[in-house]
Amino acid sequence: MNEQRRQILQMLADGKITADEAERLIDALERELPESPPGATPRLKARPRYLRVVVNWEDDDSGGDGPGRVNIRVPLQLLRAGVRLASLIPPQALTKVNAELNRSGVPVDLTQLKPQHIEDLIEQLDELTVDVDQPDTKVQVFCE
Amino acid sequence: MIPQLVTVRHRRPDGRQLRLHVPVLPVLLVLAPLLLLALLAGLVTCLIFRVSPVDALRGTGHVLWALPGARFEIEQGRTALSVSVR
Repeated sequence: MNEQRRQILQMLADGKITADEAERLIDALERELPESPPGATPRLKARPRYLRVVVNWEDDDSGGDGPGRVNIRVPLQLLRAGVRLASLIPPQALTKVNAELNRSGVPVDLTQLKPQHIEDLIEQLDELTVDVDQPDTKVQVFCE
Repeated sequence: MIPQLVTVRHRRPDGRQLRLHVPVLPVLLVLAPLLLLALLAGLVTCLIFRVSPVDALRGTGHVLWALPGARFEIEQGRTALSVSVR
C-alpha cells in the first residue's frame, strides 16, 4: 500500500471525507499511478548511450553568415575508448603538454588524470544536463 | 562492430549539395596495402616512444568499435557539413 492510499484511508477513518469521496480519490490515484503487476520488478531507466552537444546561435547582424547550429552526438563508449587510448601517451609527452597548457593559462595536470577516474566520471555523465541560454545563443549538453 | 557506413553531407552556400556514402569495409580492403604500411609505421613509432604496440592496437580497436552512432553536424547560414557514422 503506498503512502497516498494510506493517507486517503486515514482521512476516511478520521471522518474527514466520506466513503464516496475516498473511493473517487483512490480511483483517481490508480489512474495517475497504475500499479505494476505483482512480482514484476520495477522498470529500470534505460542507460544513456550518447553524449549530445547542441549549440544554436542567431545571426548578430554584424556581417555574419546567418544563424548557425552545431549538433554533435558522441557514443559514450567512444569516450571510454578515447580515455583508454589517451592513457598510452608517454609521460614525457604529457609533461610537455602540461607545460604548454600552463603557458596558455590552463593549469591542468594531465598526469593526474587516471583512466579509472575518468571512467567513474563517464559513469555519472547520464545525470549531466548543461543548459546555457543567452539572447542569441543556446548551448545544451546532455546524455540520451 | 566496426563502422559500416560513413555518410558525409555538404551543402554549399549556393545551395548545391554533396552527399557521399562511404562503405567502410570495401574501402579498407582497397586500402589494405597502405594500411599495412601504416601499421608498420605505427609499430615503429610505438617502439620509439616505448608504448606497448598491443595496447596501442587494442586502444585503436576500441575507438573504431565505438564509432558507430557518432554524428557531427555543423550549419552556418546556408552552408552545412554533416558526418554520420553507422
